[in-house]
Amino acid sequence: MRAPLLRRFGRGGVHPEPSKQATAWRPIERLPAPHEVRLPLLQHLGEPATPIVQKGDLVRRGQKIAEGGETGVPLHATISGKVKPIERVPHPVHVLAPAIVIVRHGEDAEELEFPEDPEWRSCARDEALARIREAGIVGLGGAAFPTWRKLQLPAGVSVDTLIVNGAECEPYLTADYRTMLSHPADVIEGALILARIVGARRVLIGIEADKLAAKWWLDVAAHGGAQREMPVEVVPCEIHYPQGAERQLVTALTGRVVPARALPSAVGVLVQNVATAASVYEAVRWRRPLLDRVMTVSGPGIQVPRNLRVPIGTLLGEVVAFCGGMDPDTTRVVAGGPMMGRSLPRLDVPVIKGMNGLVLLKGRGPFEDGFGPCIQCGRCLEACPLGLEPDQVSVRVEAGRPLDTEPYGAIDCYECGSCSYACPSHRPLVQFMQVAKSALRRASELRVAP
Amino acid sequence: MNTPRTLVLEPGPHLHAATTTASIMWWVNASLAPAAAWGVFVFGPAALAVIAAAVAGAVASEWLACRALHRRPTIRDGSALCTGLLLALTLPPLTPWWMAALGAAFGVLVAKMLFGGLGMNLFNPALAGRAFMMASFPLAMTSAWAAPRVGLTARLDAVTTATPLAVLKEQGLAAAMKVVAGDPWPRLVLGFRPGSIGEVSVVLIALGAAVLLARRIIGLAIPLSVLAGTALATIGSGAPGLHLLGGGLWLGAFYMATDYVTSPSTRGGQIVFGLGIGLLTGLIRLFGGYPEGICYAILIGNAMVPALNLWFRPRRVAALAGSPS
Repeated sequence: MRAPLLRRFGRGGVHPEPSKQATAWRPIERLPAPHEVRLPLLQHLGEPATPIVQKGDLVRRGQKIAEGGETGVPLHATISGKVKPIERVPHPVHVLAPAIVIVRHGEDAEELEFPEDPEWRSCARDEALARIREAGIVGLGGAAFPTWRKLQLPAGVSVDTLIVNGAECEPYLTADYRTMLSHPADVIEGALILARIVGARRVLIGIEADKLAAKWWLDVAAHGGAQREMPVEVVPCEIHYPQGAERQLVTALTGRVVPARALPSAVGVLVQNVATAASVYEAVRWRRPLLDRVMTVSGPGIQVPRNLRVPIGTLLGEVVAFCGGMDPDTTRVVAGGPMMGRSLPRLDVPVIKGMNGLVLLKGRGPFEDGFGPCIQCGRCLEACPLGLEPDQVSVRVEAGRPLDTEPYGAIDCYECGSCSYACPSHRPLVQFMQVAKSALRRASELRVAP
Repeated sequence: MNTPRTLVLEPGPHLHAATTTASIMWWVNASLAPAAAWGVFVFGPAALAVIAAAVAGAVASEWLACRALHRRPTIRDGSALCTGLLLALTLPPLTPWWMAALGAAFGVLVAKMLFGGLGMNLFNPALAGRAFMMASFPLAMTSAWAAPRVGLTARLDAVTTATPLAVLKEQGLAAAMKVVAGDPWPRLVLGFRPGSIGEVSVVLIALGAAVLLARRIIGLAIPLSVLAGTALATIGSGAPGLHLLGGGLWLGAFYMATDYVTSPSTRGGQIVFGLGIGLLTGLIRLFGGYPEGICYAILIGNAMVPALNLWFRPRRVAALAGSPS
């Protein structure tokens, strides 16, 4: 059988308007260094970083200011300046969380120098892992899981394929697309480093069909120069949400199905985001830490939509101001993409490592007028990429019986939002899933406890 | 920077498909308009009175029920109007208006609101209302048929007649075809024949259904299996064509059996549901006491929906590792 022109995952999914035309053509612009950055100690999954600087210390951009501990990642100063007392500040995810605040001090001191390691291509696996950990790199697709931990495969698990996730299926977002266009070689080199670390024998780069220009550049970067040690293939996929979800991308690119509650490594695959790959390249070649975040600022509520390279810790207010400010009719500010991102009540929160976009929306949100009863239309069943049953979960949670939702797959839901998007009664199905999940988890903890 | 006064905190996803429950209901109502208008045209103003009374009865009952139950009024979602309209389209044109209103009130109050309102009802409210009327006013429900106009420019004769299926049951095919004057097949398809107000014009029902299909409000699985089931059951009866075109099969298949709330949610269940309804319709018509069977067949099908939803569930994409897949 001939392979189809465009790949996609097996079932489900929805087609929100991609809305990428406002920023897809715009190169990544650098946000001028802000006067102040707030660097939360926790912007990743794992333990919070431990500060190694004190109030009044002068730090330079690139300098390590907090240690990562056993499960986290270290944190680096993203502007040069003076450390203020550590205090709890507004956080985009954790509401209020301790952060190291750095204020520019006198003349703007330059970034630390990061000399190249000339032998970087033959860097040993453990050394590469250490550099990635030391650079504070986390999954930049949004999950912010420490990359060094993801790269440590469980015993007995081997990986033959490294997938680079350039699908960017969230509407409005174009940050990964522009990264692939402007730094294709970084992405390819980073992917090869990652593949070497986990012992993969090929690299597949998954993109959606609206990013074919990126395929051209990535192909040139992969095959234009040196002979590569393993095949590198850019695979265009259908524009179909959630194409960029790990499980769905693995299926689209390899035909393999990741078992429920397992990681892609269970079927010999490791998935890394394009921005992560580019940062890994910088970390291994120059030992350069993760200092900036490439993000898309878009949506009907922003005056000048842009793709920006922003020092991590910059307040969103400054980012919005650099994009011409906010339309007064803006009702919702979403950190991340509009499907899986979270709405923010305020703009005095910092950009954190996992924040790939800021989408400003106008008008009434889908849930503002409340929601109706389930009319059993079956749209959520068709939309779920995992074949779960959000309708059944939702009516049981509504009836106060969240523990009865197990047979309908609440635990396996990764909250892509396709069901809620499709629901004509505007039922918050993702949130019903969350309630069911946490109730089921609590129940299983109680069962295990002595 | 001019910041808006308030930013709304809302759960994700922050985008939503344009289709809403209300838009679905209003599209269904709008798509029924041609068939309803045709009924008024061929049967005269009496049919309009029936439609108006049933719609008013349904909407008023829902409004009263919402008030009595201290619920947010749900009139604007269009579902009560839909119930009244659908009921009216299944009624004989000369049904007294108050019977139609009473039937609609029964459908909304007993079959829908007593079960918990929209989404909770087990039986199709319009057909429950019709079944209630069959039990309460059997004479009117089986004799209030009007002779249709015989052509686009023909005069309206306010005389009663019998439906093709009733004549088929009593006197056979030849007599039934005489009920449909002139060249019978085009007249059956276009809707120049005695019957319920909204069932007679197969072509206008198909037109409305095509709109709903194009907007992906309904799918083909249920209606096609209903039609197939009836064709299968009546193929040996000598009059499968009249069974397919001479009764309320199309209205039932495309508009009653496809009601989300009272039909299965997955494809497999929908096909079994549709085939079952189609077969039952044929069996009732051939061997039961009534010339028409679609109403009871769908109501029996409705009762099977919870079981069908249990038997036909979506297949999980990913089984647990180690479990047989």
